[in-house]
Amino acid sequence: MLASCAIFSVRAMSDVLAVNAVNLTKTYGPLTAVDDITVQVAQGEVYGVLGPNGAGKTTFLRMLFGLIRPDAGTLEVFGRSWQRHGVNSLTGVAGFLESPKFYPALSGRRNLRLLAGLDGGDAAARINEVLDVVGLTDRQHDKVRGYSFGMRQRLGVASALLRDPRLLVLDEPANGLDPAGIRDMRALVRHLADTGLTVLLSSHDMAEVEQICDNVTIMKAGSVVHHGSIAALRELAPEQAHRITTTDDDRAAELARARGLEVSPVDDGLAVRGPQKDVDGLIGDIVDAGIALRGLTRDETPLEALFFMLTESAPAGPTTGLDAPTGARR
Amino acid sequence: MTTTTAVPAGTPTARRRPGTASVLRWEITKVAAQARSRALLIGAIVVPIAIVLIFNTQLPPKDTIYGRHIHTSGYAVPLFVLAFAHQWVLPLLAALVAGDIFANEDQYGTWKTILTRSVSRTQVFWAKTLTAVGVNLLVLALLAASTITTSLLVVGTQPLPGLSGQLIPAGSALPIVIASWATAVPPVLGFTALAILLSVITRNPTIGVAAPVVLGMIMQLLSGLGGLNKARQILLTTPFEAWHGLLTAHPFHAPITTGAIVSAGWLIICLALAYPYLRRRDITGG
Ligand SMILES: Nc1ncnc2c1ncn2[C@@H]1O[C@H](COP(=O)(O)OP(=O)(O)OP(=O)(O)O)[C@@H](O)[C@H]1O
Ligand SMILES: [Mg+2]
Repeated sequence: MLASCAIFSVRAMSDVLAVNAVNLTKTYGPLTAVDDITVQVAQGEVYGVLGPNGAGKTTFLRMLFGLIRPDAGTLEVFGRSWQRHGVNSLTGVAGFLESPKFYPALSGRRNLRLLAGLDGGDAAARINEVLDVVGLTDRQHDKVRGYSFGMRQRLGVASALLRDPRLLVLDEPANGLDPAGIRDMRALVRHLADTGLTVLLSSHDMAEVEQICDNVTIMKAGSVVHHGSIAALRELAPEQAHRITTTDDDRAAELARARGLEVSPVDDGLAVRGPQKDVDGLIGDIVDAGIALRGLTRDETPLEALFFMLTESAPAGPTTGLDAPTGARR
Repeated sequence: MTTTTAVPAGTPTARRRPGTASVLRWEITKVAAQARSRALLIGAIVVPIAIVLIFNTQLPPKDTIYGRHIHTSGYAVPLFVLAFAHQWVLPLLAALVAGDIFANEDQYGTWKTILTRSVSRTQVFWAKTLTAVGVNLLVLALLAASTITTSLLVVGTQPLPGLSGQLIPAGSALPIVIASWATAVPPVLGFTALAILLSVITRNPTIGVAAPVVLGMIMQLLSGLGGLNKARQILLTTPFEAWHGLLTAHPFHAPITTGAIVSAGWLIICLALAYPYLRRRDITGG
């Protein structure tokens, strides 16, 4: 916390933070959906909010858009808060929450016309361009009722880009997309980020965040369990785990232990974790010992393993000892 | 809400926000795009024609006001239809339109879509309310125009029997008939506001539509009970009967005035409850 404040005071001289949420809490009856979280996003960053289902990601983003009000804490977007500036606090901000929703009886284009009307300015002049960016030009005159899930998701991105935002907020944008759709969506986000746009993205997929984000906040049951840069997170991550299947798993396990690798039995063989060179050496040992190697696969990535460690084992609570300041710039 | 204080470096400059008129324009577009709105407007023209034609072939219903005159005066028919319509048809139409305009956003999950742009909830609320009022007035006007025109064409322009037994000459009957339909405007607006309140609170189009109709029927029942003289005045269904005063030998307007005041009271109270509710509510669905 102290560390992030120090960074903030330095930054405040040049750029105001894109998002400055401090000690934010939101409860629904007995349930604390967001529990005293602090998230600070500098301008130009691609920032990930990562957490399993129910972690409070969407709830946080809803507060950012002023759709729900925090019970405690403060939230500023580009220095403007909902309490003081009302809907003006959304100036320069666009995005969508969960799956984007549109009027089914209107065409994709007409939905965008409508939203541009609610944006004011020259949003309407950008409709062709944003339809083109998301590849919906051919289907723009079809009613949204007939759109597939992925098309609606893309229309959601188009409707956000219509506002020519400085901060793009995307809540699990790859949710429900097919592999090609996921690839395209990630490429698009990365491309937008390269133009200098600040992106705040929520996800439950570590690999996605690792691919496109610079900094990340990891949430669990409403609380922040870690925040920092992806680079810092890599340092903390355990070694890559591999899954091996042999004709003699007991003997192979002995060989692995002899090399100092961590071994645990799994359904179809062994999970071994340790430096890559020791795993490479182990393969040689197994073959030399006359055991047949039937399978060798990489398990979850080190960052994924860390994500599961952070969000499954440790009880939710204040930021773990891995305190690293957020707001670091690319 | 629109405080412009000195903004720190890097803050995007606020552009001109769209006015409520432009929100209104898009609300009207949404209503117009819905097949059921168009069906409603067409129905408001076609159904009265069918009703007038059907009743023209039936024995006159003697137990309803003006029922027994429907074959003898074309001016009696619209009054007979009005007396029938206000029982539940007018509350239902008012609720259909208002419920649609508000609770549909819940049904489609689109509150979040429009409230994350550059318009305030206040603007959206008033644009929707104005749209609901406008569409309801249009529906009422179409119903009246269609009923009156068809009746005069089918039955004729004979003098209209008054409620005190006098005979109103054809020349002065038309303004009275139109004025009678016009007295339905205040209670229709009252029901519109009631439907807005209920659909904003329940977030459910079905309840938003059904509840005002059921409440209207309960009010009808209550007013049918004896011993309710004072309380009867504040029911939202009572103003629907105010037109009776226009058809007596010595017309009296007090019920119309009271009806307008009572309807305005309902309108103001319902909107005064619905507006802050929508301003404060958590938008979580969708
Ligand atoms: N309107 C609501 N009423 C009651 N509880 C709610 C409401 N909205 C969210 N919650 C609860 O708040 C918690 C956080 O929900 P949220 O939707 O923010 O999670 P999330 O991290 O976005 O999850 P997911 O990955 O599934 O989208 C959950 O336990 C959820 O049940
Ligand atoms: Mg979510």
